[in-house]
Amino acid sequence: MLQTLWENRIQCVAVLIFAVGFSTLLLHRNLVKKIIGLNIMDTAAYLFLTSIGYIRGRLAPIIVGTDTDPSHYANPLPAGLVLTGIVVSVSVTALMLALTIRLYDQYHTLNLDEIYYMALREQEGGQ
Amino acid sequence: MNQWLLPISVLLPMAVGAALPLLGKKSHRTLHLVVLAALLLQAVFVTWLLLLPQIELPLFAMTDTLTVSLRMDGFSKLFMAVAAYGFLAAGIFAFRYMEHSQRQESFFTFFLLSLGAMVGMALSSNLITMYLFFECLTLLSMPLVLHDRTKESIRAALKYLFYSVAGAFLALCAIFFLARYCTTLDFQAGGSLDPALAAGHETLLRVVIFLGVVGFGAKAGLYPLHGWLPTAHPVAPAPASAVLSGIITKAGVLAILRLIYFCVGPEFLIGTWVQQALLGLSLLTVFMGSMMAYREKQFKKRLAYSSVSQISYVLTGLFFMTAQSVQGGLLHVVFHACIKICLFLVAGSLIFNTGKHSVEEYHGMGKAMPKTMIGFTMASLALVGIPPFNGFVSKWYLALGALRAELPVFSWLGPVVLLISALLTAGYLLPITIHGFFPGPKESVPEKNNEGGPLMWVTISVLALLTLCSGLFARPLAQAFGAMAEALF
Amino acid sequence: MSFSVNFPLFCIVGSLLTAVVSSVLGDRWARRVCMAMVSVVAVLNGVLLGYLTGLGRSVSYTMGHYPHPWGNELTLDSLEALVSVVFSLVLLLCLLGGKAQLQRDLGDRKRNLYYVMAALVQTSLLALVYTNDVFTGYVFIEICTIASCGLLMIRQIGRTTLASVRYMIFSLIGSGLFMLGVVFLYNITGHLLMPELKQTLADLWQSGLYRAPLLTGMSLITIGLAIKSGLFPFHFWMPDTYGYATPSSAGILSGLVSKGYIFLLLKLIFRAFGTQVFYGAGIHHILYLLGVIGMVVGSVSAIREDDIFRMVAYSSAAQIGYIYMGIGISPDLGVTAAVYHILTHAITKPALFLASAQLTDGAGGSKRFRELQGAAYSNWVAGLGFSVGALSMIGLPFTMGLIAKYLFARAAFQSELKMIPTLVVLGISTVLNTLYFARTILRLYNRPKRKLAKPCPVRRQIPYAVSALVLSGMNLLLGIVAQPLISMIEQGLKQF
Repeated sequence: MLQTLWENRIQCVAVLIFAVGFSTLLLHRNLVKKIIGLNIMDTAAYLFLTSIGYIRGRLAPIIVGTDTDPSHYANPLPAGLVLTGIVVSVSVTALMLALTIRLYDQYHTLNLDEIYYMALREQEGGQ
Repeated sequence: MNQWLLPISVLLPMAVGAALPLLGKKSHRTLHLVVLAALLLQAVFVTWLLLLPQIELPLFAMTDTLTVSLRMDGFSKLFMAVAAYGFLAAGIFAFRYMEHSQRQESFFTFFLLSLGAMVGMALSSNLITMYLFFECLTLLSMPLVLHDRTKESIRAALKYLFYSVAGAFLALCAIFFLARYCTTLDFQAGGSLDPALAAGHETLLRVVIFLGVVGFGAKAGLYPLHGWLPTAHPVAPAPASAVLSGIITKAGVLAILRLIYFCVGPEFLIGTWVQQALLGLSLLTVFMGSMMAYREKQFKKRLAYSSVSQISYVLTGLFFMTAQSVQGGLLHVVFHACIKICLFLVAGSLIFNTGKHSVEEYHGMGKAMPKTMIGFTMASLALVGIPPFNGFVSKWYLALGALRAELPVFSWLGPVVLLISALLTAGYLLPITIHGFFPGPKESVPEKNNEGGPLMWVTISVLALLTLCSGLFARPLAQAFGAMAEALF
Repeated sequence: MSFSVNFPLFCIVGSLLTAVVSSVLGDRWARRVCMAMVSVVAVLNGVLLGYLTGLGRSVSYTMGHYPHPWGNELTLDSLEALVSVVFSLVLLLCLLGGKAQLQRDLGDRKRNLYYVMAALVQTSLLALVYTNDVFTGYVFIEICTIASCGLLMIRQIGRTTLASVRYMIFSLIGSGLFMLGVVFLYNITGHLLMPELKQTLADLWQSGLYRAPLLTGMSLITIGLAIKSGLFPFHFWMPDTYGYATPSSAGILSGLVSKGYIFLLLKLIFRAFGTQVFYGAGIHHILYLLGVIGMVVGSVSAIREDDIFRMVAYSSAAQIGYIYMGIGISPDLGVTAAVYHILTHAITKPALFLASAQLTDGAGGSKRFRELQGAAYSNWVAGLGFSVGALSMIGLPFTMGLIAKYLFARAAFQSELKMIPTLVVLGISTVLNTLYFARTILRLYNRPKRKLAKPCPVRRQIPYAVSALVLSGMNLLLGIVAQPLISMIEQGLKQF
């Protein structure tokens, strides 16, 4: 049991980090903290993905010398996936931050609950 | 060539009805003329169709298994004719009754649309088509209930819709099951249940069929889905109540008839708990309807309760599953339509001319509106079932059929309940006549009025005479229906 | 004709380019370019549909000269083409029908940005529908999320911004789970292309190795997509999102975006997991259960609403339940019903949202039912559009709703276990739908005591009228003559 855990230590850490991110996202009422949680979650997934791509004793998948035997190199695909994922998460974060700024401008708080009640009151006042 | 008459007779009233709003704010006279022309033309078409042999016309396929097609057989003719003539009578009455009402065009629009849907239902040749028209009928007749747009009528309309949709879904479930266990969904006398497929699933099938009958029974006011009827019928304008009670409730009867005798087949049900349960429900409804009518003071509501009870006479006939009982049921379909339309028109006339709704205010009315009240008396006697009026004939066959069914308990309970209900019917209708013609000495007699003009009292009188004549000369009708009923077994 | 296999790629790239171009165009031109693009996409996919139906098998379309199993691919078959055609058409009609409200909600400044987002949604939907690569699926899920959030937040009022934040958070959790699932599967199989994935998964499943991670991966993907499409109990973002968006966006989000995710899930079930593995693992039982509960809960919530938009939004939650119920019943008839219902809902829901918007505008802008009394008299087109949509949602004759109900019931008979509950829930849901939709229609057609708003003539709302009539017409037509569509779906599923 312990040995399995040790062999998959990176994956275990990744799962832990994911859990931290997920709980941050769900439990905190502060918008910025939520966004940070989201990013932690993404990072965990990338760590997980990278760790799969890495194979002990193999080279980085870049051909410098004459060695063209593919079995000497690690799998390049996960790295590519991670890159794509990072781009996605950057844009998502940017969008979320933009939304946060807009909400802050309007309600002067980052607490989602407070914003919700204010918006509710605003609507009732409007009608 | 003749086969195209079938879709035409469905579409004619619908097309005219749908076109009525296009007339715009023309005078009411134009509107009435158009509606009258449509109703007369429809009656002519239907009469023509009555003389033709069986015709069939497949229309189109919604999916491979759901096809829409029309066919006219004896039962189609019966229900189609009842619908066309009944709507004609109520329509003529409505020209006068609705004179001062707003939104006349909307009333007549849905009036004609309902007629089209009812005829379509009668002409359906398979369960799917019939279900489609059944739902359409619900939707198109709902605005009639809604006509006054008061809070009460909206609540009633919603109740109507709610019960109907719930009932129709139960029926739809049954249709889904039958689609699996029947060789075809087309109507075949004697049913098309495939014994090989059904083997081993009989209990489930019987439960489903029972639920299906109860579902369709919602339209016919069968207990336990009867609750909407006494609420919805009285709030509609009187001519609409007349067709709702007299004709549209028969849609439920027709649906049950088709389901039991043309899809499942009576022998699958005879002697089973389904038959007993259904008989129990229908007899309960007969008794309860009469009881409630007896206690009700508002005239139209009393008539609506009476409908609940009377339609279940027909259903009792269907559920006894003997040739005589079905024959009696069919006769009662025609006779009750005639009687109930007449009674509701009387109610309409009384309300129109005096503005009074409660039976207690009708004392002395026989002096004020003698022609109307004589019509009422005749129709009442017919509904009670006193010879030589027509109600007697149908009830005679019903009782005969019940005794011939040779079921334990129900064979004698049926006629007894029918008798008790007839007594109650006399109890809730005849006092109106008695007080109407012989008011107490101290009671003020209402002033004589013109009884709403000839349009009103002539319609009522014709219908009242019909109850008498069709009772005196019921033989050809009874023979024809007898042959139709025989063919089912 | 065989050239038409290039069309999906053209369409995807074309819509992406349109998005880029629209960002520098003015309002008017952005709108024209976008609408033209969407129409062209619809036509091209129509041609492709014709070709593929004739061909009778699916085609894989390799991109970038990398062969199996490394390259990125599209798969084309008739079902995908069909869904694309319907989606493009509905998108076009949404943009057309909500024009008046767009002008009001967006102000003058950045209306072209709306069309950028619409073009992006179109791009990602097409990619989701056509892709053969799981990771490409993930990327376009994210693009779709961002673009649809853009469609949402472009209306700058407090509630909408808040709703976008909520929507975004739920969507991101969903796509996060999806990605994690993809990573799990990749970890075990080493493949991202669907056919290879399916082959390996089938072998692994047979051998009994790695059951737990396999199951985890599939469940994560399923849950992720379920959250994003709003299956019970993840439907809480729906009413706010659809209720406060501008009507076009509400139509696009409810009718198309959530359906795009479901379609991707279907595709994954058939092409990546394999029906044997997926239905063998028993995940469908959970989907069925959640779907059934969602149908009832969604409708009950809808009954309690007194805001017409939120009511329609809650009814979406119920309809999504129908679709998942179909998926849960069986992989052949059940999924046929589910796909048919996807199309039904894609056609019906936008019509309802657009009609509600038009009606509320006529009644002075209040979304409360009280104020909508008699609204159908001042705008008969919208009244008609709403009524047809509502009848279809209830499932009354001559609408797509009835056929969908029939298909679900037909599927239910396949399973001894699920037959009775399915029929019972269909019944309950029908009655509940009747209750709130009929109530609304009655209110719309009930003349109030006070004076009515001035009638809005048709010529003042031609774009809306066109879209309403086309949507209602499609609904009725496909409800009356449904067999061609059903055959197409069945044939497409066989090729899957």
